Amino acid sequence: MAVTGRTALLAALGSLPVGLWDPSWTGILAVNAPLALACACDFALAAPVRRLGLTRSGDTSVRLGETADVQLTVTNPSGRPLRADLRDAWPPSSWQPGTEVAGSRQSLAIPAGERRRLTTHLRPTRRGDHRSDRVTIRSYGPLRLFARQGSHRVPWTVRVLPPFTSRKHLPSKLARLRELDGRTSVLTRGEGTEFDSLRDYVPGDDTRSIDWRATARQSTVAIRTWRPERDRHILLVLDTGRTSAGRVGDAPRLDASMDAALLLAALASRAGDRVDLLAYDRRVRALVQGRSAGDVLPSLVNALATLEPELIETDARGLTSTALRTAPRGSLIVLLTSLDAAPIEEGLLPVLSRLTKRHKVLLASVADPKIEEMANARGMAEAIYEAAAAAQAQSERHRTAEQLTRRGVTVVDATPNNLAPALADAYLSLKAAGRL
Amino acid sequence: MTGSTRPAEPPQPATPSTTRQPDAPRPTTSVSPTPRQLWTRSRGIALALVILLATAVAIAAVRSGAQHGRLDPRSADPHGSRAVAELLADQGVSTRVVTTTEEARTAAGPDTTLLVTNPDLLTDGQRSRLHAATKHSGGRTVLVTPGAPSVKDLAPGVTAHDTPSADSTLSPGCFLPAARRAGTADMGGIRYDTLTPDAEACYLSDGLPSLLHLPAPRGKGDTVVLGAPDILYNDHLDKRGNASLVLQLLGTRPELAWYLPSLSDDRTADSEQRGFFDLIPSGWRWGTLQLAIAAALAALWRARRLGPLVTERLPVVIRASETVEGRARLYRRANARDRAATALRTATRTRLAPLVGVSPAQAHAPETLIPALSTRLRTPGQDPHPLLFGPPPGNDTALIALADQLDALEREVRHS
Repeated sequence: MAVTGRTALLAALGSLPVGLWDPSWTGILAVNAPLALACACDFALAAPVRRLGLTRSGDTSVRLGETADVQLTVTNPSGRPLRADLRDAWPPSSWQPGTEVAGSRQSLAIPAGERRRLTTHLRPTRRGDHRSDRVTIRSYGPLRLFARQGSHRVPWTVRVLPPFTSRKHLPSKLARLRELDGRTSVLTRGEGTEFDSLRDYVPGDDTRSIDWRATARQSTVAIRTWRPERDRHILLVLDTGRTSAGRVGDAPRLDASMDAALLLAALASRAGDRVDLLAYDRRVRALVQGRSAGDVLPSLVNALATLEPELIETDARGLTSTALRTAPRGSLIVLLTSLDAAPIEEGLLPVLSRLTKRHKVLLASVADPKIEEMANARGMAEAIYEAAAAAQAQSERHRTAEQLTRRGVTVVDATPNNLAPALADAYLSLKAAGRL
Repeated sequence: MTGSTRPAEPPQPATPSTTRQPDAPRPTTSVSPTPRQLWTRSRGIALALVILLATAVAIAAVRSGAQHGRLDPRSADPHGSRAVAELLADQGVSTRVVTTTEEARTAAGPDTTLLVTNPDLLTDGQRSRLHAATKHSGGRTVLVTPGAPSVKDLAPGVTAHDTPSADSTLSPGCFLPAARRAGTADMGGIRYDTLTPDAEACYLSDGLPSLLHLPAPRGKGDTVVLGAPDILYNDHLDKRGNASLVLQLLGTRPELAWYLPSLSDDRTADSEQRGFFDLIPSGWRWGTLQLAIAAALAALWRARRLGPLVTERLPVVIRASETVEGRARLYRRANARDRAATALRTATRTRLAPLVGVSPAQAHAPETLIPALSTRLRTPGQDPHPLLFGPPPGNDTALIALADQLDALEREVRHS
């Protein structure tokens, strides 16, 4: 039940007859009794909310930053027309800040016995599963003096997937991959190390690749082509511990790591490698394993959608042993973590040898552009102290990276915008060098 | 390629009715309570309220018995005075109840006895106006149990004694004809003292009277002060000489005005006490009341939300650069110029070493770096040693200058 502004306005206008014509209890009664009666009639004539039928349909997943449309079908089975305001409640992050109220409310009019479809446009600002809350309907009477109000629970979930902004780099990286493959129109020798096939010599080919034995068997000169290794295993390990929660720009480090992981996965699955994913802090948060090339990226995106940084220290020992259990021998293990000195030196370094003994390890870390900016700050004394602190932090990072490099780990340290292409380049160069 | 990056459908959320037959009875999705649920939920509270109300009514009925209608000539309760009024009516005396000072003033006259049941409830103004009306009216004024403040105004020259009488049954002990004829009566209560020469003091207790008869200075009027109301009560009237005494005291005039003062007595008659709300026209007052109703409705309109708030788990917001900023502030507070200078110099040396062909391991050794560097500097004779390996700066200005010089050196090496 709810009164409307019109009721309050009529009551306020009623003070004129009460004051001028009959200033007594009689006057008060003469104004308010008809008003109450009208409200009661309105309440009785409003379409009942409880008997409305509500069903949903529409998008179940959307990429962060895009719009999801969820339809709500409202059936009015009663004999009275429905004039109502409706609020389709979702968590606040389902809309851009400031548009929550406008986005969730709609007014509708449904004649008796008919149904209408409403569309709620969601524009989520956060990853993860967004579950609809209740649908509240305020059904007005014909005079709009009084309303019935009630709620329905119509469950629906929209999964908001990582934006994968780095997919714009994918065409260029794929072109580079085709060069490696020897399949490009550019006459460069495929840089892989695995024998692929023989073909006729074309002027411009590297004469060192001529297969004399095959040439002897036929009339033309044959050359060997090479291709990069295929069917290698790549395990992407996302560290979801406390260091991944720190915000670089306005997104956590984890989001930049995810972006890089997705680009690498897209590239590697095209290059014929098998990609698995492990997200770990003190327990397994997500594990994607053994998917086919066409299926791996959707599974990864789905698994990453609900991943959030946890405010706990990562258990490097547990992470290492889980990675060893997950990855077959000779895999490329891509650790997406941070290069902070303490967690690496105390956590990862003591157990790193177990990984490097059996696998090739690539460590990618999100650098903070703010620190670079601080390191270049000049002018006031405060700025110099900031520059000194930033220089100190950078040199610690370099030292940590050097320690890792000495143990055979390839380190990629880049700002969020550059991390994904840098990681892809590192992967391609490892592939080109045949070090996978 | 991008085609395959399209996300797969996540686990299908529960879609309630897409596959169901349209005619099949659908389970309601409503979460609002039905009237039956509302009744089930609220009946306990309703029952408690009913019990509370019933108890309150019962207690009020039991408690109000003794004092209800006290000294009211219309009340038949034990402490009412209807018996007195009936007896007086038999004697031809008509009793009229008055409730306001104005009525009491107009009632006062030579043929009227004015009985004031509880003068202590009157305000000073009311008492003085009442006294002015009764003083020369020629009628009788009977004051029942006036206390110290009211007896002073209504019967000047009489004072009330602090301690009440120990006995409640007293003999007349005076020459007042009424008292002599009545004999022993249920007097007592407040004791009075007077210096008025022609006053009659009756029913003495320890030498002080509980009944005073004061003739008016001029005219035929008089005033009777009673220290106890017992003789007027229904259940005391038939005891001892009570009835006789009452009938003689109240039956001297054909009219009896029985004044029952109360706290809400004729406030508007006091012109000096009229408040702001008494002065504004009534139309405004009632109009404002109606506006208040409208305001309450508006508050209800605005207060009713369209559904409850939706809660959500918020992410933590920690800037990754927080520790570095904290360290910068620590340097600043501790004036750690030596640390800051070392950090800046180390960073510059690390960047310079590859530019001049020195291995990173040798970057911080002056004997390797300085000679390599000197060959790249355009201005001969310039010694970079104090800049790169010198003592820490003495103040912040020197530190700023050091940072600028390091930048200049690096720029020069880069552009050479």
